[in-house]
Amino acid sequence: MAAGVFLDYVDPWINWDWLGSHVPLVLATLWQHVELTAVAVVAGLAIALPLGVIAHRSGSLRLAVLLVFGVFYTIPSLALFAALVPYTGLSGTTAEIPLIGYNVLILVRNVLVGLDEVPKDVLDAADGMGYRPRARLLRVELPLAMPSIFAGLRVAIVSTIGLVTITAIIGLGGLGALIYKGLIESFHTPLVVGLVLSIVLAVVADLAAAAAQRLAVPWARAA
Amino acid sequence: MSLLGLVWQWFMDPQHWQGSNGVPTRLVEHLHLSVESVLIGAVIALPIGIALGHYGKFGTVAINISNTGRAIPSFGLLVLAFQVFGLGDGPIILALTALAIPPMVTNSYVALREVDPDIKDAARGMGYRELAQVLRVELPLAVPLIMAGVRTSALQVVATATLAAFVAGGGLGRYIVDGYATQVYQEMVAGAILVAGLALATELVLAVLQRALVPRGLRLLKAPTTRRAAVFKVA
Amino acid sequence: MNRRPLWMMAALAVAAIVAAACGGTPSSSATSTPSKGTLTVAGFNFPESSILAYLYGKSLEHDGYKINYKVNLGTREVVAPALESGQIDLYAGYAATDLEYYDKKAGEATGDVTLTVQRLNNHLQSMGLVALNASAAVDQNAFAMTKANSQKYNATKLSDLAPIGNQLVLGAGPECPTRPYCEPGLKSTYGITFKDFKALDTDGPLTRAAFASNTIQVGLVFSSDGDLTKLGLVVLQDDKHLEAADNVVPILRQQAATDEVRAVLNKVDSNLTTTDLITMNSQVSIQHQDPDAVAVAYLQQHAYFA
Repeated sequence: MAAGVFLDYVDPWINWDWLGSHVPLVLATLWQHVELTAVAVVAGLAIALPLGVIAHRSGSLRLAVLLVFGVFYTIPSLALFAALVPYTGLSGTTAEIPLIGYNVLILVRNVLVGLDEVPKDVLDAADGMGYRPRARLLRVELPLAMPSIFAGLRVAIVSTIGLVTITAIIGLGGLGALIYKGLIESFHTPLVVGLVLSIVLAVVADLAAAAAQRLAVPWARAA
Repeated sequence: MSLLGLVWQWFMDPQHWQGSNGVPTRLVEHLHLSVESVLIGAVIALPIGIALGHYGKFGTVAINISNTGRAIPSFGLLVLAFQVFGLGDGPIILALTALAIPPMVTNSYVALREVDPDIKDAARGMGYRELAQVLRVELPLAVPLIMAGVRTSALQVVATATLAAFVAGGGLGRYIVDGYATQVYQEMVAGAILVAGLALATELVLAVLQRALVPRGLRLLKAPTTRRAAVFKVA
Repeated sequence: MNRRPLWMMAALAVAAIVAAACGGTPSSSATSTPSKGTLTVAGFNFPESSILAYLYGKSLEHDGYKINYKVNLGTREVVAPALESGQIDLYAGYAATDLEYYDKKAGEATGDVTLTVQRLNNHLQSMGLVALNASAAVDQNAFAMTKANSQKYNATKLSDLAPIGNQLVLGAGPECPTRPYCEPGLKSTYGITFKDFKALDTDGPLTRAAFASNTIQVGLVFSSDGDLTKLGLVVLQDDKHLEAADNVVPILRQQAATDEVRAVLNKVDSNLTTTDLITMNSQVSIQHQDPDAVAVAYLQQHAYFA
């Protein structure tokens, strides 16, 4: 394996001077990353919840939804971002469409599994108690499906945070822009900062989601 | 001509099926990167996960390692590998292996933990010694979940290998990166179709392999844990 | 069962996330005086283009405009459509290569920069775009070998490569096989057919690493690179004049090309020299100074050409 780039300037893995004078840049990329992730996860959930509920009732719709979004899921994100550029430009929309699509698959699957696993006895009991279908859904089934939905949320959040870095190729990237800058300019510091902050962001987000889960569904076994 | 028409033409063009930028070459490159990474990853991850699961040690680490593993952006890891080790397949495989290891460690750990303790007792009672017990009793029962881990890793690696093109790697990602740089959409779409196809094929092959490896008795029991095996999108 | 707190919590969480996402964006470093308008300046995916983007952008900022920067945006094939569609307002082009892009490889570019820019504007006119005055600063494609290889193959000029092309691997950005001044040009003007082409990057770290590991023997570099000697690279002479007048020239949307914007940009261009480019490039590539810091330092040194 060849040695790395052969410049005489000894490029430390973190140049603290550079970091100190570029805090606004780092914060701006971090913010962009959070924004892109939040929109993708929230929109994905907003689509997946109703979609999952409807698909749960209908076997054929369920198959169709899983098939369509499942195939979408196997397409590499790089290809989707690149292919959308001529249609939606070098914009947040281009980044969000694939990200939301992936999240819908992850979340719909978990919504379906969650609803599937509601014990039949509970459903019978609810019916027996006089719950109408919509009330039964909102007050019995969905709450019981929460652990599974939260598990899906955690997967969606961490996945999205990783995928956002790839949008650097279309001029966005969040923290990925730092990574990309490090690559193009043969510069270690932005690469390391981008990489480390992405990991930290993902770990923090995952922990926050786990904490939110414990708050919302305290009876659930930790996933 | 519509984009789909152009893509069709791209696939029909014999030029695209020969030479160093032809589909067979790129496919082989992609497979080479993926298979090596998953194999090396498995050689490292499975023994560790199995051992930890069998003895029940370091559970929190084993379970959380895949959490931390998925938190690493694959793009950044590839660039890091390039900056540390330079050009070539080696650094790329190193990065991909690092990504492949966590799911396999976690899944094999959980797989071994979920083996019914009564069965383990029975085996011990029958006189099985440690290694034999693991190999002949616990492993066969753990295969479904272990294979789920291997499948997860394999899919992640196949998807991430497309990013190798960013650091002058070969593979099917070249069509996407080069197509984007020159804005030749049919090349991009063709590359996307090829990678998606490869991912589906990988899934199929490993599903068949899993069926072959799972002992018949188990196959009849539907293991509910495999349904929950979440496939993370990392590239 | 009382599920209200659960849903309230969920709704609050969602609202909080959405509010946070849509809410504060960090304020950019704009001037505090009321702005004359906002422009988006883009750059290609190599450092020199970032430097030029900041040179133009910072001088416009100094003049009271608010500038959004989109550096490292991609190749010309990505940046030019973005300009056409109005997603960006301005980028620093190179006269001959841009002409070859906009004339769809008709081969109109020449060594005469005035003529080249004139022809460029003929094409840009109908697209709502315009090229301003070209600078004296030039950055052409250049093909280099390591010193060792140059001696080994006894090659000092490009025509030396014609008989041995099939032993050599060419490395450049992925757009090279389709650019008239790159691989096709080498073939038609010099008769060089390479053994293989390796898609790397546009004169970036991948190309340099490929030189170092001898993965490529001939690579595309830029004539204004600051670190060629340092890297032990030898530029092969373009004896048959494949490369044409690649002077730096701002290309922008006609809408954005107000008299004032033109004045500011032309002032920068008329003072920029190739030596300046080389110096700024080496500050970025060797000393790892930031492109924007380098650009601002240059402008301040020249008092923004006021």
